Amino acid sequence: MVLCEIKNLRKTYPSFTLSGLSFQLNAGRIVGFIGRNGAGKTTTIKSMLGLVHPDGGEIDYFGLPFSRNEKQIKQRIGYSTGAVNYYPKRKIKDIVSVTRMFFDTWNEEAYQEYLSLFALDENKMPSELSEGMRVKFNLLLALSHKSEILILDEPTSGLDPFSRDELLDIFAELKKRGVSILFSTHITSDIEKCADDILYIRDGKLVASYPQEDFRKNCCEAGESIEEAILQMERGANI
Amino acid sequence: MIRLLKKEMKLAASPLSYLFIAFGLMAFVPGYPILVSAFFLCLGLFQSFQAAREANDITYTALLPVAKADVVRAKYLFCGFIQLCYFVLTAAVTLIRMTALSEAEVYRSNPLMNANLVYLGFVLLILGLFQSIFVGGFFKTAYRFARPFVMFIVAAFLVVGLGETLFHIPGMAALNAFGFAHIGLQICALLLGATMYFALTLISIQRAIRNFERIDL
Repeated sequence: MVLCEIKNLRKTYPSFTLSGLSFQLNAGRIVGFIGRNGAGKTTTIKSMLGLVHPDGGEIDYFGLPFSRNEKQIKQRIGYSTGAVNYYPKRKIKDIVSVTRMFFDTWNEEAYQEYLSLFALDENKMPSELSEGMRVKFNLLLALSHKSEILILDEPTSGLDPFSRDELLDIFAELKKRGVSILFSTHITSDIEKCADDILYIRDGKLVASYPQEDFRKNCCEAGESIEEAILQMERGANI
Repeated sequence: MIRLLKKEMKLAASPLSYLFIAFGLMAFVPGYPILVSAFFLCLGLFQSFQAAREANDITYTALLPVAKADVVRAKYLFCGFIQLCYFVLTAAVTLIRMTALSEAEVYRSNPLMNANLVYLGFVLLILGLFQSIFVGGFFKTAYRFARPFVMFIVAAFLVVGLGETLFHIPGMAALNAFGFAHIGLQICALLLGATMYFALTLISIQRAIRNFERIDL
């Protein structure tokens, strides 16, 4: 089942153009959105959430156009730009007490469960948390209102290898619980570890969009890893 | 909208915004340009905008299932709420000065503006200018506020200067009436101030919503 569909998404800045991106996010899948810094990942994700105004294209969630159903759709999706970077000097419990007011589907049981799973202390402030813990706090907020889709912009950036690995395990666990995830990254090993589908973007254009196995078949030469294949494609583009 | 107002009060507001409501009591101070208290209140509100920007309040709010227009309205609502608290306080002080203290020598010999309904009209004009110039200016970018605040300071002090000089002009001394003298004129001035406040605020909200809708966050 298609949960999110992007058609011909376009956005032009003076020095960058996102050219007609189209892709889908299917139920129960983890989609890795990969590309080097400045390739257009964040612009795409922000456009998907109405934070950036696309010049053209369609963005639908659950079969509904985002532009006309923003409030309703945001009740069902979770979004994070890496680690929590807001209200660094407010206690987690204060931020949560405000956040829960806005979500009709807020589930206190799920909140307590993820709080315990992520080993977060409600009395701490975001400024007292490590980068990895702040990513988890963002996930906690998204999951406590039963998000069906998580859209995460570079959630593993800035994390140490152990925290990254732990986070990717959490993604796998969330997938088992029926949550679909789209996450952007420039770290290819993250994609290899947990993505079912791969979207590869370069200079604002979607270069490849395949399930991981098909990506390997179509883009990797024999014995070549995804990282090596992407590096080859990037080098090829720069010649 | 009420939930967004609660969010403003619990997470985004600086404690100074609440504390500076007490400047409403400055209307008791003799020999001081009491209109400046309205500017001080706005300084407290400015602190909230500064604190909210540093705390990435807009990023957080954008994650919530709310319309962008409501984000703008909530900021105005918060400012309006704080301004209302201040106005009620300074209006109460003004009423005390107009009644129980209307004959007090310390105020009778005061060369500066008297606390009466004209004063309250000027207060409302300054608060309306804050909504229009500062808050409206902030929502052009949702992060730059130095220029709108400097522009507001200039406008606010021009109004303070106007309030302090107008009644010295021959024939306009009635503007500085004591107690209920020239009450018709006083009420007119208050109503004019209130009209200016609501007009400036409502026009500014519409403009800010349009500007904020266009911003890429």
